[in-house]
Amino acid sequence: MRRRDFVRVTSAGMMGAFFPSFHHSLVPSLLIPMDDSQSDHLKAYGLAYRVIDAGLKAEWLLNYQGGAFLLPDAESIRRDAALSGVRADPVDGGRVTAIRGEIEANNMDAVPLEKAPKVAVYAPPNAAPWDDAVTMALQYAGIPFTKIWDPEVVSGGLKDFDWLHLHHEDFTGQYSKFFLIYSGMPWLADMVQRNADTARRLGFATVPDLKKAVARGIHDYVANGGFLFAMCTATETIDLALAAHGVDIAATFADGTPMDPQADAKLDWSQTFAFTGAHLEPNPLVATFSDIDGHQVNAGPRRQPLGAFKLFNFSAKIDPVPTMLVQDHRQVIPDFYGLTTSFVRARLKPGVTVLADEEGAPWVKYVHGDLGKGTWTFFGGHDPEDPQHQIGDPPTDLSLHPHSPGYRLILNNVLFPAAKKRELKT
Amino acid sequence: MVMAAPAFGQAIGQGFELERGGRYADAAAVYLTTLRSDPANLPALLGLERVLPILSRLPELLPLVQRARAAVPENGTLRALELRVYAQMNEPDSLEAAARRWAAVAPRSDAPYREWALALADRRMFDDARRVLLLGRRTLGGGTTVLAIESAELEQRVENWEGAAREWGHVVALAADMIPQASSQLSDTPAPQRARVVAALSPPDAAPRTQRLAAELLLGWGQAAEGWRLFEQSLGAPSAETATALRRFADLAGAVATPAGHRVRGLALARWADLVPSPLAERARAEAVRELLDGGDRAGARAALERLAADSLAPADAKAMAEAALLEVLIADGQLDAAERRLAAAGVALGGDDRAGLRLQLARARVTRGELDRAAKLLSGDSSVAALAEQGWIALYRGDLRGATEAFRAAGPYAGERAAATERTAMLALVQQVPADSLPALGAALLTLARGDSAGAVTALRRVAANLEPGGGRSDVLLLAGQLAARLGGAPNEATAIAVFDEIVRAGGSGAAPPAAELEWARVLVRQGRAAEAVQRLEHLILSYPGSAFIPEARRDLERARGVIPKS
Repeated sequence: MRRRDFVRVTSAGMMGAFFPSFHHSLVPSLLIPMDDSQSDHLKAYGLAYRVIDAGLKAEWLLNYQGGAFLLPDAESIRRDAALSGVRADPVDGGRVTAIRGEIEANNMDAVPLEKAPKVAVYAPPNAAPWDDAVTMALQYAGIPFTKIWDPEVVSGGLKDFDWLHLHHEDFTGQYSKFFLIYSGMPWLADMVQRNADTARRLGFATVPDLKKAVARGIHDYVANGGFLFAMCTATETIDLALAAHGVDIAATFADGTPMDPQADAKLDWSQTFAFTGAHLEPNPLVATFSDIDGHQVNAGPRRQPLGAFKLFNFSAKIDPVPTMLVQDHRQVIPDFYGLTTSFVRARLKPGVTVLADEEGAPWVKYVHGDLGKGTWTFFGGHDPEDPQHQIGDPPTDLSLHPHSPGYRLILNNVLFPAAKKRELKT
Repeated sequence: MVMAAPAFGQAIGQGFELERGGRYADAAAVYLTTLRSDPANLPALLGLERVLPILSRLPELLPLVQRARAAVPENGTLRALELRVYAQMNEPDSLEAAARRWAAVAPRSDAPYREWALALADRRMFDDARRVLLLGRRTLGGGTTVLAIESAELEQRVENWEGAAREWGHVVALAADMIPQASSQLSDTPAPQRARVVAALSPPDAAPRTQRLAAELLLGWGQAAEGWRLFEQSLGAPSAETATALRRFADLAGAVATPAGHRVRGLALARWADLVPSPLAERARAEAVRELLDGGDRAGARAALERLAADSLAPADAKAMAEAALLEVLIADGQLDAAERRLAAAGVALGGDDRAGLRLQLARARVTRGELDRAAKLLSGDSSVAALAEQGWIALYRGDLRGATEAFRAAGPYAGERAAATERTAMLALVQQVPADSLPALGAALLTLARGDSAGAVTALRRVAANLEPGGGRSDVLLLAGQLAARLGGAPNEATAIAVFDEIVRAGGSGAAPPAAELEWARVLVRQGRAAEAVQRLEHLILSYPGSAFIPEARRDLERARGVIPKS
């Protein structure tokens, strides 16, 4: 499966006309509520994924009970729900009809989920499963994924996947600018060695050159119909790497030459996903990359305190994609730091859809857009349940956060590529 | 109308604000404007030092600094700034020339060498920085103590912890008040290098203060006993410094929450008590006794107690504390008759709470010897909830299930520590499943357990269960036997546990025992590395007993067995 186009329907009830689903017959179903009555929100996504992965049909009821799922009623699914601790309410045909009536009359929609996306996570081979929020969420929900890294991307391996996640990779090739701050730490030495070896093996002169090629590979993957979801510093640095084609933006420690003093002026923002007009951080000792990030967590006096971000409301019937991405049982969510925590509004390209922002602040948290035949979503911050995440912190145990509204946003992204293509009405 | 020019302070403040906001070029303009009217304005020069490198305009700073330095040649801060600018511009020759010029005008100052070395170190030119510090040492002629702090910090920066320790050793040998700083700096030594750091600070000819530094480090790294050994060796004749060092060591040991930490704190306090006047000494000795007991050093505690008992000047509260501690020692040593006599004789010398607590301890000690009547007699006049709870246990061990139930209910859920209350509640739940007022065999089996014979208790409990009806507490008694066997560990015990859990699960029923047994069973399987079988058990539990209170725990264990959540 490649990306299915999310072409917007212009009136309510279109879906039923084009895609009669199993639910329209009066067979019993299982309703997976996603409001406060759900006993494990995160595992509910895994349950829905496994249902469609088994070739069964499911529906995502946008804005209905917090973004509920409607699944066929089968013994195996009940068993899975019971083992996962997911609340699943049996509903008969009459109740399903009533639900559909409610959806019809309100800002809600029912989106068919038809095929489980093949998920890839871009991470070094030695990365622990607990290194990033998405792998933790996938593991916890029980959604299978494949780890890939630079060799796979450079050799075109991305074409085998529908959905790609990036987390804290520094695509500028500067090892998150920890090189000087964490000098001598074994984990950093390993990271440097591993990247340098890979660059050499793949025929690149420097690690920054390798990462630019990888960024370009990911860009082309999206342009050809892939789904990209990035968090933390991968959001900012992939755009910087794409804009810096042919420009040296890496400090001496990364490639042996200093950053081009005129780099700012030479950046080509037409090549990027989300950002434009940013200024690079020239100081190699400051672990921040540019003025894209609003919070500047490692930039001393420029560091901003954490607030809370608010999810936008979209029209479910007209804008199903952003609606899917913001399905949650909470509208306002406490913010959390990452190397890149947020995105300064003034640095966003025109046409980027803002999914969440902090009211009154000059930054946004969660953005989405199209590129070619594909789509991308950027979510700032490192771990929604570890707001001050520090290197060396213990991993987050998601069984203690089964209702995490921040992690739900991640899982919305995993599931939305499963949604069925719609035809344009006109 | 012409606006008045802002005062210097206001103008430079504006520069700071711009800098904070990331507007470096604008901030630089403000600083440059300030310098035009006040060429030696230090905040403006330092501001430019911060912002010009970001703007790739550092060379602009040099002439400004040189002009300021020429205007105020005796200003060390400006001299240091000049060195840093040369270093940042990667001009080591000019840096050296400037530093030597400064040294020439201040021949007895270590500042030129310190700032020169720091400027080089900031450029990661660590070997050159080390050479400069040695040059300063030679030139100033003060031996290893000159520029020792700077040398220590430099070695630490290059991860040469052993070298840093040696330098700090030079520093503290001269100045005892530098030990806290040295200790704080060296406390970050990575674990693999700690032994070498300690060795560097404690050669045979080490100065006592240097040894003391090593002792503090060991203490901070959790090696309390080793630290104390080294510290004790460093103690010389009684002096104010010795007393201060002992007090500090005792305070530091207070942060080490291990038995060894308590013991070392007790030893240090006891030694300190010898050096300070009354009543400070007696109070310290009493506290030392408590710490030594907490550290399991009963011999040491006794020695301290004897000193205290012989001290006619000791205040009443210290004596009471000592008496209570002595009784605890006697009970722990098994001298129950002596303890009972002493407790009776102590009378009002002990506080009411202390007396009650000691009586309870004595009663428990009697119970563990199987002397139930003597234990009951000790508590006969006590109506506190703690005593009621203990009376419940005594009734239970006698097989008096009804009496035990009534006493546990009367004691309520809050007597004693939380673990004791939980244990009592669990036992109450078990007893209530048995439809009899008296069952001496069960009491005897539980007494076997209370006396520390877990293996014997497993056998006895299984025997009791065999005589109970399936709905009459059989599964609950078996569950306790299985749990004990599982806790004992080892292949034969775990096999027994699994057989018992299997029997409970097969018997089924609506009580709490079957899901509890299945959960314990799965945990044994996980411990044995049989995760797949554990997963089967846990899935069976979750699906078979959806209303059980064990379900959340079972789900969590299931995730762990599947490797889905991190081990905590």
